[in-house]
Amino acid sequence: MAEQTLPLPGQATDTASGGGIYLRMAWRNLWRNRRRTWLTASGIAFAIFLVSIGISFQAGSYSNMIDNATGMFLGQMQISHQDYVEDETLENTVLDATALLRQLRQDFAVKVAPRVQGFALVSVGERSFGGLTVGVDFAAEQQVVNFFRNLKDGELPESADEVLIGVTLARNLGAAVGDELVVLGTAKEGGVAALALTISGTFRSGQPELDRTLLFAPLATVQNGFGLGDEIHQFVLRTDDLDSLEQTRQAMEQALPEQLAVRAWPQLLPELVQSIELDKISARLMYGVILILVTFSVVNTFLMIVFERTREFGMLLALGMRPGAIVSQVLLEASFMWVLGTTVGLLLSVAIIGYFAGAGVPLAGMEELAEQYYMSDRLYPGLSPEVFYVAPVVLLVGTQLAALVATFRIRRLQPVVALRAH
Amino acid sequence: MAARLVCQLAFRNILRHKRRNVMLFLAIMVAVAGVTGMNTLIRGMQYGMLDAAVENLTGHVKIHAQGYRDDPNISHSFDYNPDFVAQIPAEQLLGWAPRVRLPAVIMSERETRGVQLVGINPAQEGISFLADVAIDGERLTDDEDGRVLIGRELAEQLETQIGRRLVIITQGADGLNRERGYRIVGTYDADGTSLEKVFVFTGITRLQKLLDTDQVTEVSIRLTGEEARQSTRDSMTSFFDTLDVTDWQELEPTAAAMFVFADAAIYIWFLLMMSALIFGLVNTLVASVMERVKELGMLQALGMRKHLVVGQVVVESALIMTMGVSLGLAAGYLIYLSIADGIDLSSFAAGVEMVGISTMLKPVLHVGDLFIVAYLSLVLGILASIYPAWRAVKIEPLEAMRA
Repeated sequence: MAEQTLPLPGQATDTASGGGIYLRMAWRNLWRNRRRTWLTASGIAFAIFLVSIGISFQAGSYSNMIDNATGMFLGQMQISHQDYVEDETLENTVLDATALLRQLRQDFAVKVAPRVQGFALVSVGERSFGGLTVGVDFAAEQQVVNFFRNLKDGELPESADEVLIGVTLARNLGAAVGDELVVLGTAKEGGVAALALTISGTFRSGQPELDRTLLFAPLATVQNGFGLGDEIHQFVLRTDDLDSLEQTRQAMEQALPEQLAVRAWPQLLPELVQSIELDKISARLMYGVILILVTFSVVNTFLMIVFERTREFGMLLALGMRPGAIVSQVLLEASFMWVLGTTVGLLLSVAIIGYFAGAGVPLAGMEELAEQYYMSDRLYPGLSPEVFYVAPVVLLVGTQLAALVATFRIRRLQPVVALRAH
Repeated sequence: MAARLVCQLAFRNILRHKRRNVMLFLAIMVAVAGVTGMNTLIRGMQYGMLDAAVENLTGHVKIHAQGYRDDPNISHSFDYNPDFVAQIPAEQLLGWAPRVRLPAVIMSERETRGVQLVGINPAQEGISFLADVAIDGERLTDDEDGRVLIGRELAEQLETQIGRRLVIITQGADGLNRERGYRIVGTYDADGTSLEKVFVFTGITRLQKLLDTDQVTEVSIRLTGEEARQSTRDSMTSFFDTLDVTDWQELEPTAAAMFVFADAAIYIWFLLMMSALIFGLVNTLVASVMERVKELGMLQALGMRKHLVVGQVVVESALIMTMGVSLGLAAGYLIYLSIADGIDLSSFAAGVEMVGISTMLKPVLHVGDLFIVAYLSLVLGILASIYPAWRAVKIEPLEAMRA
């Protein structure tokens, strides 16, 4: 600390209170011009508030997007044959599905839903459209994704020959609940896959592509129809512990047969990872600009402080104080200014974030956008440590640099000239 | 006379504290340059989205038969009178194209997919993304061409290639299915976007013959700019009074919402920056007043009117802002020039597609935005001077001179 190397004259022996006097002087200097101190500290507080709130709501919107994207239909993790990752064809199946399913449910804290799927021609009467027939275990699906809550008409299939189809597909086919529907495709071994099913209900997911192409039937029905045995295309997984998702993924990869690929949402939704990344970069640029301009106004404040006290500094120099000690004194004042601003800024942020973390911010009027970005209609700010330290740390460096820049003059100050300054 | 005096006093005041004011200019400059640079990128994104939405077979204005949008079926088709072109001023019209667009099932030897089969007249498709995409193989020659042009990604999914045959099933005007073999003339590469999986193109006249119709399901009109959209939509609505006339904002609501959102984002960033700035500005102005308590007291004692004292502070603030903003706009323009070639976002390709823009983000400079930034900054500068000016007015001449 400064007090050991640079004692004030007359206090050289009083080491016990030596540290105290520097702190006290800096603190009192701060209140020589209350208005200026508060204005500068408010600038710091405002910048910290803006950046903290910004980071927090960004984090909130990201986790909102991730939750909705994975919770809707995709699942947080998927297990499939590694060839299926590149090429989603009927042949690339996971064998011995029942045994694997049991193993997964036993060894890991996850909910699992098996799926098979095949493209086929879907016809009602004379009308035909291409559709993706998905075989699912409806009970298991409801533990893993929210998709089957979006029923528009009718019910989920209960018997083996019932099917749930998208609203747009139903409209295109001119079909309603209760109608007969025929699925015609190619089975695994090259034969004809044919299914005659009764429409038990329709769903509206909000994603036009899904509503236009998907139909869901019981797992065994689709397996039999497409000539698959105890085979599935994907296991869709959900865990309550999203933070350790990557560890779970790696543990599964270790435990499962080599030819299986375990993918978590970042691998399943690279576009989401990228758009989050892009958003973070552009926001960081703007935060940077805000923090820089606040730093400039701190430089400004300290230029004023140094200018006003030219005589005082001249006097101190004449009495034998070293320029370095005066600079440390000013840096200490800058630290106090930072403490004030940071305290106010963080208190404000915590209050606002705390309030909205409970209540959520309704995204009224942005339903279209929210849907495209997989967001639900309420946004909850995120609470990660970086919300509370990024802006303060950057500004601590910023204010110290600002004060240092403003004190360059002190080192070149001639006591005699300085004492004569007005 | 008084105005000149006020300006002179204010200006000289700024010169008195060069170092301090330079810092303020720098702060304003960083804010304005940051906002301006960001604006050009947001505008670039906005127009990129608009282009993508419009080129994605939508056009600025589109005409369908009533009911087609709910039930895209050849029974919802129409005859159009090509004279509608005369209703649109030639300088506003980039082009137009008639199409037959229907859902269809496409099958290769190995795979089956659902697609949109689009009958086009290749000569008129300069208005859509087809004009820009890279093509392997050949393009369709004319409206009689009975081959198909498919997306590269679809070709991969179907495990087929150029020159091979595909079977496409679609519904004819009589409600019965048409099943016909098509040879693949070429594949198009739409930067890996989902367009590649959705649209399959063939000659419109041949498709109409197959479907037993001479009608179309849509006419798409591309204008030279967004400004003419509403007027064209109105004139088309009255020309095609029995048909369903829409524009891209209605057909692509997500893109339209993003468009509005981008406008808002520009103002939000600007306001945040300026509010952060205002603390420093007020601080400096108050200091400048407090340093001159004696001087201002003296001037008042000599008979200077209060409103001139206020004027000095306001003009000082406005001058500081003007200089800072000028520097900032110049710096912002330099930022714009340095990125004018576009920022390559191809390492974020998938994320960028989600937003609906191309991987090359080109900044767009709106002169109007610059004026708004300048104007609002000046307003803020004047607002910032209210408190310092009030302080200046409160000075009591007698006490001030004794201080």
